[in-house]
Amino acid sequence: MEDIKTFINFIIGYIRKDEWSPYVAGILLGIVGFVAVWLSDSLLGASGAFENFAGAIGKAVAPATFDNMYFNFIMPPGLNWSLVLFIGTILGGLIAAATSGTLLWGKRDAANSDAQWKAIFGPQPWKRWVIGFLGAIIIEYGAGIAGGCTSGLAISGGMLLAPAAFIFVAAMFAAGIVTTLIIYRRRY
Amino acid sequence: MLSDYTMLNYGMALVLGILFGFSLNKAGLTKYNKIVNAFRFTDMAVLKYMLTALMVAMSGLYFMRWIGFVTFPSVPATYIAGNIVGGLIFGTGMALAGY
Repeated sequence: MEDIKTFINFIIGYIRKDEWSPYVAGILLGIVGFVAVWLSDSLLGASGAFENFAGAIGKAVAPATFDNMYFNFIMPPGLNWSLVLFIGTILGGLIAAATSGTLLWGKRDAANSDAQWKAIFGPQPWKRWVIGFLGAIIIEYGAGIAGGCTSGLAISGGMLLAPAAFIFVAAMFAAGIVTTLIIYRRRY
Repeated sequence: MLSDYTMLNYGMALVLGILFGFSLNKAGLTKYNKIVNAFRFTDMAVLKYMLTALMVAMSGLYFMRWIGFVTFPSVPATYIAGNIVGGLIFGTGMALAGY
């Protein structure tokens, strides 16, 4: 009895920890990855959902502009499996932050809370917003060209041993290292 | 109206999504410094996380195919120029935004 109690307390204590060992969290993601294929016959992905969602808005606002091959066939707009997955991902992130007590929702420095970011770019939240926004546009554009993002192509493709995944990861790290070198210069 | 099967499948997506987000957050991949420090070779948590996930998913998937539980979905298409150019653009954005 005592043993079970200690075990459950250990599990709860671990769930409440702010930062897990990357190996433990990685095992969880790996299980999610193959269960998705097993039970839903789908691959995990995050970047596609943005395009489905943007397509739905675009079709409503400017039907002529969005009436092209890409939004009609490659990324059809509307609700689909990966959009639901994406909503779940946001909820999961919120829940995880809440369990470790690091949820910054509504707090004063919520928009710019990373000490390292402040040291490099400055403490103003608007800078964080602008650079995050521009960076995200570049990310989504790159994911659109490559055919997936870190989860949809690198991990989901990688677990099927798709060559595309490994080419993508190599290019991603090459560009990431060069960009960081340029931004950090002597502080690299 | 959505069919029962679609509803069940979307329910599955929601649960898997929550677990996905949970694991990303607990591994610290929602933090700017974790992502960028992987590019500076000062914090390898991102790589440890990604490769662990890859190994677990790969072993699970190939085992399940071996016992006949799954048939593989079509793998992402190899399109070398697209994968490289897309990856380069993606990496640039990733180092900037830190997500």
